[in-house]
Amino acid sequence: MTARAMQEATYLILTALASGSQHGYGIIADVSEISGGRVQLRPGTLYTALDRLRTDGLIAVDREEIVGNRLRRYYMLTTEGERRLADEAARLHANAIAALRRLRPDLAAGLA
Amino acid sequence: MSEQATLERRYRRLLACYPRAFRRENEEEILAVLLACAQDGQQRPGLAASADLIKGAMRAWLRPAPGQPRNVRMAIRLMYAGVAAHLAALVTVVATTGSVRSAVARGYPGLAAAQNSVSVNLVIDYVGLSIGIIVWLVLTWALVRGRAWARIATAGYFVSMTLSMLISVGGGSAVYAPADLSVGAVVWLIALAACVLLFTRTSGRFYCPQPRAVTPWHGTFGRL
Repeated sequence: MTARAMQEATYLILTALASGSQHGYGIIADVSEISGGRVQLRPGTLYTALDRLRTDGLIAVDREEIVGNRLRRYYMLTTEGERRLADEAARLHANAIAALRRLRPDLAAGLA
Repeated sequence: MSEQATLERRYRRLLACYPRAFRRENEEEILAVLLACAQDGQQRPGLAASADLIKGAMRAWLRPAPGQPRNVRMAIRLMYAGVAAHLAALVTVVATTGSVRSAVARGYPGLAAAQNSVSVNLVIDYVGLSIGIIVWLVLTWALVRGRAWARIATAGYFVSMTLSMLISVGGGSAVYAPADLSVGAVVWLIALAACVLLFTRTSGRFYCPQPRAVTPWHGTFGRL
C-alpha cells in the first residue's frame, strides 16, 4: 500500500479509538478534546469517515446498544487500524522533529 | 417532543441524499448523533450541519468500490470532470443567451431569419448539453458499479462524439466560436483519457474478471 498521508480527521478518529471503543457522539467529543477544541467533527464527516474506515478494515463494530429507542454503535480499532495509526504517528513525529531540529535545535534534542 | 420530531423529519430528508446502502447501515445512528448535537427547541438543521451532510453524501457517492483499480478510479474522476464541463457549458450558454441575441439583433437589424436561427441553435445547445449530462451521468454510474457494458458504451460514445465533431468541423456547416471549440476539445480529451484508462489491462480485470477454473461460468458477466 502506498504510504499516503492520512487526513487529519481520520488520524484523530483513530486516535480517539486507540484507548478503547467509543460511540459516534463520544468520538466527536474526544476528537474535540484531543485537538484542543480546534477540530469539531460534524456527524456527516464522521460517519462518512467511519464507513470508509470500516470498509478498509481499520475499525470494526465492537457492540451495539439501544439507548432511549436509538441505536448506539461502539467502534474499535482493528489490529490493522492500530498498525496504521502507529505508522502515521511515527511519520508525524519524525516530521515534527525534522522541522524543530532546524527551527529550535535546543528543543528538538529533548524530543527526539 | 414535536420539535424533535420536526427536526428528525428534516434531518431524514437531508439523509435521503446518501446512497441507499450507506443509509441502511448508518442512518439511525447518524440521526441519533445529530439529535444529540441539537440545541433545545431546535427545529431546523443548521446551515453548517446541512452543508456537512450534503458534502458527506457526495463523498459517499464518489467513494470507489472496494477492489476498484487505480485506473478505473481515475477514469471515473475524469467522467465526473466531463459532467462538470457539460454543466459549465450549459450554465454559460444559459447565462449568455441575452447577449448573443442582442449581438445578433445589432449585427443583423430587422433580419428575422438570423434571429430565428439563433433561437434554434440555442435550443439545440440546451437539449444537446442536457442529453450529454444525462449520458455521462448514466455511464459514470454504471462504470462505478463495474458494469462491463458501460465500458463498451463509453467507447462507443467517444467514437460517435469524435465522428460528429469531425463531420461538423470538416463540413464547415457551423461557425465555431473559440469558446465552443475549446469546450468541445476539453470534453473530447477527457473522454479520450477516460477510454484509454478504462481499456488498460488492470481495468479489464475489474470489468471482465477471468473465469476461474473451478467455476467456469462465474465472473463472465461482470462483477456482482
